[in-house]
This record gives sequence, C-alpha cells and structure tokens, in this order.
Amino acid sequence: MKRQQYLLKKISWAVFTIAFVLVLNFFLFRILPGDPARSGIHDPRLKRDAIEAIRVRYGLDKPVINCIEKVNPVEFGSCAVNPLDTQFFIYVTNLFKGEMGISYHTNRPVAEILVERIWNTILLIGAGQILAIIFGVIFGIVAAWKARTTIDYVALLSSLLAWSLPTFWLGIILLFWGSTHGLPIGGKATPGMSSLPWTDRWVDIFRHMLLPTLTYTIVFMGEYMLIMRSSLLDVLSEDYILTAKAKGLSTFQILKDHALKNAMLPLVTVMAINLGFTVAGALQIETVFSWPGLGGAIFESVNRRDFPVLQGTFLLIAVSVILANLIADLTYSYLDPRVQAES
Amino acid sequence: MVAQLVESKPIAKPSAFLDFWKTFSKNKMAVVGLVMLVAIILVAMFAEQIAPYDVTTSANITSRDIYRPPSAEHWFGTDDAGKDVFSNFLFGARISLTVGFFAAFISIFIGGIMGIVAGFYGGRVENLLMRFTDIMLVIPDLPLLVVIVAMTRPKLINIIFVIGLLGWTTTSRIVRSQTLAVKSRKFVLRARAIGAGNMHIIRHHILPLVMPLLVVNAILVISLAILNESTLAFLGLGDPTALSWGQMLNFAFGRGAMSAGAWWALVVPGLGIVWVVLALTLLGHGLEQVLNPRLETHHLMPGRPVVQTDAGGVSTHSIAGKPVLLEVQNLSIDYVTEGKPPAHAVEDVSFSLHEGELMGLVGESGCGKTTLMLGLLRLLPAAGQVVGGKVYFMGKDVTAMSEQELLDVRWDGISIIFQGAMNALNPVRTVGDQIREAIIKHVAILPGDKVDDRVVELLDLVGIAADHKEHFPHQYSGGMRQRAMIAMALACNPQVVIADEPTTALDVMIQAQILELLDTLRQRLGLSIIFVTHDLGVVAEMCDSVLVMYGGVTAEYSDVDTIYNSPRHPYTQELLKAFPDLSNPEKRLASIPGYPPRLDALPAGCRFAPRCPLAFERCHVEQPALHSLNGGHVASCHLLENLA
Repeated sequence: MKRQQYLLKKISWAVFTIAFVLVLNFFLFRILPGDPARSGIHDPRLKRDAIEAIRVRYGLDKPVINCIEKVNPVEFGSCAVNPLDTQFFIYVTNLFKGEMGISYHTNRPVAEILVERIWNTILLIGAGQILAIIFGVIFGIVAAWKARTTIDYVALLSSLLAWSLPTFWLGIILLFWGSTHGLPIGGKATPGMSSLPWTDRWVDIFRHMLLPTLTYTIVFMGEYMLIMRSSLLDVLSEDYILTAKAKGLSTFQILKDHALKNAMLPLVTVMAINLGFTVAGALQIETVFSWPGLGGAIFESVNRRDFPVLQGTFLLIAVSVILANLIADLTYSYLDPRVQAES
Repeated sequence: MVAQLVESKPIAKPSAFLDFWKTFSKNKMAVVGLVMLVAIILVAMFAEQIAPYDVTTSANITSRDIYRPPSAEHWFGTDDAGKDVFSNFLFGARISLTVGFFAAFISIFIGGIMGIVAGFYGGRVENLLMRFTDIMLVIPDLPLLVVIVAMTRPKLINIIFVIGLLGWTTTSRIVRSQTLAVKSRKFVLRARAIGAGNMHIIRHHILPLVMPLLVVNAILVISLAILNESTLAFLGLGDPTALSWGQMLNFAFGRGAMSAGAWWALVVPGLGIVWVVLALTLLGHGLEQVLNPRLETHHLMPGRPVVQTDAGGVSTHSIAGKPVLLEVQNLSIDYVTEGKPPAHAVEDVSFSLHEGELMGLVGESGCGKTTLMLGLLRLLPAAGQVVGGKVYFMGKDVTAMSEQELLDVRWDGISIIFQGAMNALNPVRTVGDQIREAIIKHVAILPGDKVDDRVVELLDLVGIAADHKEHFPHQYSGGMRQRAMIAMALACNPQVVIADEPTTALDVMIQAQILELLDTLRQRLGLSIIFVTHDLGVVAEMCDSVLVMYGGVTAEYSDVDTIYNSPRHPYTQELLKAFPDLSNPEKRLASIPGYPPRLDALPAGCRFAPRCPLAFERCHVEQPALHSLNGGHVASCHLLENLA
C-alpha cells in the first residue's frame, strides 16, 4: 500500500513537471524575440499574400491562447475564441500525435530528425556514463578505504581537477591529440562505409566513439569518485561495519557485503540529479566531435536559426531527463528497503 | 553543559574571525585555491598594465601574423586575427570573471531569498517555492540556457542575467534546509519569545548561521557560471564583442586553429578556465572541510600495531575447578592523535574469566569500558593502540595473533552484543541474512538448508518467530532488534559473549526480558559473559564477579558478594549509595557530584581524587597502586595500603 502511494506520488509529480515543461517550451518560443517566422512577417518588403501564406503555414493566424487578451508586448486571443482553435491547443494535440513541426532548414519533420538522432546520443551517453560510473566507483572505493594516505590525496586532487575541466575544452584537446595519432576527427562513421560488412562498420563506429567517450568518462568520473568516496567513508564509520568486523569478516568481505550497497545508494540519487549535467556534457562533446546526436542538433539548429528543431530537441531532452529521474527514484525505492517505511 | 555551549548564539567577535583564519590557513587546499583565485583576479584587474599588446586595434597586423607560434615577441603565439594570445588572455580573464561573479551574485540573491523565505515561513509558501525549485532542478539547465540566449540578443548583460536567473536552484535548497535547522534552535525560539520581529530574527539570528554555507555554495555557483558562460560562448552564443576565454576558444576552434596546428590558441584560454574553476573548487572544498570538519576515520583503517611487552604466561588458577577462558593481564590502551600526547583510555587492567562465569563491568560513561572490550578482540578504532599487557583466550595470546588467526577468534570464540542494535545491524540486509553470514563464515561447510534451520533455531532461542527471518531491521521493534543481535552473537556457539550495555535505550519491561533471556541462555549453553552496564541492580542479581572501572583504571575487582557487602574503594561505595536499596526504601539516593575525567585531562594522582569524599593530599599527586586484599579482591586506593 505504502509502496503504491510512493509510486503514485512520484509518477504524478513527473507528469506535472512534464506539463510544466510543455507550457514553458510553448511560451519561450513565443515570448522571446528571434523566431524568423515571427519576425519575418513584419518584413516590409513582403507582399500581403506572402505574409498570409507564412502565417497559415506556421499556424500564426490562430490566436495563441484563449482568455488572456494581452501580455505586453505579445497579443493573445480573447475569451470568445474557441479554445480548441488556439495555437496552444494545436501545439499540444500535435505533440500527442508526435508532430513537432517542420524544420526550417531541411524541410523534414522535426520528429523524424530527432528519432534518428536520439539513438546516437543514447549510445554516447550510455557508453560514457557506464565507464565513468565503473571507474569513479572503483577509485572512490580505493580512496575511501585508503583514506588519508597518499593514494587518497592523489585521487582526490585528480578528481577535483577533472571536475574543473570544461568539457568542450577537454574534447578539443583530446581531438587535437587524436587527430595526430590517426583517429577520426569527428562524426559517427567514415563516409562510404555502408557497403562494408557490419563488423567493419562497428569497428569504424567504435573508432569514432573512442575520443568522445574518453572525454565523457574523464569529466564525469571525478564527480562519481568524490561522491563514492564520501558516501563510503560515512558507511564505513557506521556501527554495523564494526559488527561485521567483530564477526570476523575480512576487509574484502566487509566492503563487498556490508559497505558497497549502502554506499551506492546515494550514488543513484546523484546520478539522477546529474542527468542535467550529463546532457550538458553531451551537448558540448557532440559539438566538438560533430557527433550526430541531440546535442549536435541543438548546436546546428541554433546556428541555422532552425527554431522548430531547437524547440523539439529541448522538449525531448527535458522530458527524457524528467523520465530518467523518475526511473532513478523508483530504482532507489527498490534498492533501499527503508524508503517504503519512511514515505 | 556541552549542549548549552552549542546552543548559545555565536557572536561574531574579531577573535572568531582570527580563529577561523587560523584553521583556514592550515588547510592547504583552501589556501592554494585562494592564492590561485587572488592571482587571476589581480591579473584581470591590471590587464592594461601587464598586456604587451593593445588588443583593441588591428593596426600593423598583416595576414602573416595569423596563428604565429609562440616566440619571444608573442609568448603564447597569435590567434586567428593575428592578435597576441597572451594579451587577449589577460583581457579575457576580466570578462570571464565579471560574468561569473555577477551571474553568481544574481543566483545567490534569488536562491538565498527563496531558501530563507521557504525555510522561515514554512507552510504553503514553502511548499510552493520548493516545488518550483524541484521543477527547475530537473529541467536541464544548459539546453534551456542555449534556447533562451539563442532567442535573445547575445549581449553580455543578457548572458549574465540568463545564467544568473537559472542558477539559483542548489542555493535555494541548501539555504532552506539550513534555515529550517537554525529556526528551531533554542536562541531563535528565545528571541521569538521575547517578541523579536521576523526581520530581526532573520537578520540577526538566521543569516549569520546560514552565511558560511552560503559562501561555500556561492563558490560553486561562481564556478558553474564561468563554465556556463564559456560553454555558451564556445557554442557561438557569446557576445561577439566581448572576447572571453570561451569566445577565444570559439573563434580558434571555428576558424581553423586545429588544421593550422595552432595548439596555443586552443590550450591557453582553456587553461585560464581550468585555473579559475580549479581555484574555486579547491577553495570551496577546503572551506567545507574547515567549516564542517569530518574525522575521515573508519572501521576498516589499519589499526595501530600492538606494542608487545613482557608479561607472565597464562595463570592457571581456577575458581571451583573451572578452567580460565579469558585472561587479561595489565592491558593498557592509548588513543593516539598526531600532535597531541597520547590519551590513556585504559591503563593496567587485569581480570580473568572462567567457564560459565558472568562478570559485570561497571563504571560511568567514558570510563574506558567499551574501549577495553574492543581491545580484547583488537577491534579498536584507528587511533586506538594496545600499548602494553596481554590478552589470553583459551591459552592463546590474542595480542600476538596474526590477522587470519584474529578473524577466526572473532565471533567463533568471543562474540559481542553491541549496544544500540539499530545501528549495529545493517539496514539494507535482512536479519536472517546477517545471522546466516556469521554461521557460513565460521562453521565448517553446512548445506544451505541446514544453515537456515540454524537461523530459525537461533531466532526461536531468543523468542523471535521464524517468519521474521526475512525482515529488515527497521521492521523490528527495539527489543526485537536487541534479541536478534543476541541471536547473532550466539550463532557460532562462542565460549565468551561480551554484552556491551545491551539494554540501554530500551524500556524497562524489555530490559527485564532481555536480561532474563541472557541469564537463561548462559545456564543452558554454559556461556561465559562479560556484562558491561551502569545498572548495579542487574549486576547484583546476575553476576559472579564485578570489575569496577574509573577513568580507565581498575577501581575494584572482586566477587559480587564482596563488592556489595564490603566495598573498599570509595568510588564503589559512592556508586552503591547512588543505587536504590530495596531493603531500605527510605534511604536517600546520593549521586556522585561531578563527571568522570576527560581522557586528555587526567588528574595527576588518583583519577577519582577530584570527586572522592575521602581524598587527602597524597591522592592528588600520586596514583595509587592496586592493592590485593584477601580472596582475589583488589582495589586501587591509598587508604588500603596498610590493610593489604
């Protein structure tokens, strides 16, 4: 019962947050200046029917939303307007149909572009995140176990240094180094590889992934190490570790059976909170390495003023992060038996 | 006393700052970070004076000046516009730092106000503000920054505001929880009781205590703002007229530095960012250590080596013909802290435990009882060190055992029932699992279901139904947890069980149950038990012998009847006076004034002298020896010298 309430609470909260993001995403792109379609129709050189065509094409002929007449300087619709015939309603219904507009630049549906790209981002983030967690946790364990020794200080300082590196700059440096050592300088695959057998293609993709993944791992490993270290230090000074020691368990057994699970729990929460940073990291890495993912999509759409793609990508990223957060919360409740008792 | 000291409101005197500065200057990380930060701020301030070239003019620059490698003229080479990278770097510092500090100021301001308002006023306001914070915390900030900056004009002031307006979430959360913690402290309640207004309380009582945390958080926020600004600039969203470090990287990366091999144009501005962010990170990390010191010691740190001293072999004397199981001879334990003289936690303690014997170990808190017990199994914390004496268990010297031999003695030979079983049991593993683990570790290979049978048997022994086996400790009541701990201690049929205040923190009924259980088990299983307690009534009822400790030394040690009927040490006598006598209910209870001595400030003479009603001059200067009275009765008191 308690568990169900907990799940329900978390899920409804995620739904509410997503709704907030939907609204934010809608109004951001209408209130802020800069959308070429919106500013374009004020161009005095355009003929009336051209303006009308643009307005119809991008749905600008409809009122933005009903019941809010005017918020300076933006004009909205009056209450007399049919709520089903407003831009906001059309935006929401289109989203549920999976339509996110048409790219200004390529004239392709935004949804299609995003579906193509999200897998590349997942591949990159997945590989980097897994490596960062594995190495971060291992180094964190060693540092905590050897607390206040040289090993600990070296690990601590290097993770602080790794944290201080701007992701994109580390990417540039590694790219510079890699390009002089025969590694590909960007993209996901070498052109003209599609005719080759799949093993060759994957080797090629692997070679392209090497540097971006390395960048990712270095940047995020430091933080996981710090958290693992401090969390493990807390756990290792708990009374139940003394009990385990009194039971005659060896250091290795105590670490494995009594300390690790307890210390990993905060890591799950931190991973969830960090997802925003994860996305930020991916955005920078994809830009540096021309990786065709969502981060790359943001960078390109900004430079091309391709606002439908920008809007869609932002929405997709935000919703993914919220959902991933929800998953982390739910995982945590399964891992820690105490959560059900407290909530 | 201590609690009051903590609760009284800290007043910011100049000396408080000096104290802070003292601890701060000892923290290498914080000092290095501060020096690095001050250095780069000075560089940014005096950019005009330091810079070898004027970066505002393109006069005298030809196409041959583009991407020139480092030389005597241009220390760090030239960039895509043929300008001196070093000079640009100096002016870039100014822009990056300005953006970072101003944006962080906006964030801290917003987050600080939201946190204080939410924490202080509570209720619906708090709910609303924190929900909003939660939402903003989940939305990934860099994509949002990119979207907003992309849609507004890329002017430096816009960028500062957008970064500032989105960066307050962590501040708001931290400040709120600190405000909540401070709000219910005594001095705030007192101030409210004498009619102080909300603004007064916030300004004079809450802000000073929130401030230190806010400073640490501000340092993090500044570094994030600088990183965000350079990322935005690198993505092409910076102010094209303000050449920050990020903008320099953007231009170099976008304008062929890579293919021209002009590493200097890429490395130098990046190092600037790393320098500032690293300085802030070190400073923040160091400050946190200063403000919120952690011991950073734990139970798995290697213990200090046992100091081997000469001591006699196993004494073979026995009471009623029963063999001696545990023999402790002149055991001394110190706590060693670097830069301080060692604290003598246990000094020269001897006792012996026979088969089936129940020994009471009595004394106030802080008298070294737990240290002595942990010392027996060499389970001392990292600072603890056995500096003398011997512990023999069944004829074998525990102080000379190898790590492997120790692992075998622990739990299998001597087990411990820890006090406060809530924390002594692992919260994320089931009780049955934790008992099973001990059996598997020590009892020669048993098939799985036999181990489970044994777990059920043990739980049954302490009166816990078998279906609670797979429950977690938090699903148990306090009494059940303590009984589960007992079951666990008995898992491997140990010869000796140490019960370290097994009934503190339990209510009286449960206490009685637990004690009865222990006594029954002792008789059924023939256990020897060392019972650590404050409760003299329990000792009188159950124990065979009693060791009274005071300030780390033996005050008196004898069989239980002698202790109760003719105590010879004034401390024992005073303890007994403080204990209700059922045969004489009218008698007034007399507590002993004062506290046991602190380990780092032991009195020069007898450790009990400052509180002893019978103390005379000699007691304050000379530590009394242990005097043997008749029948194995020993006590350390100068008054007994002539009787012995």
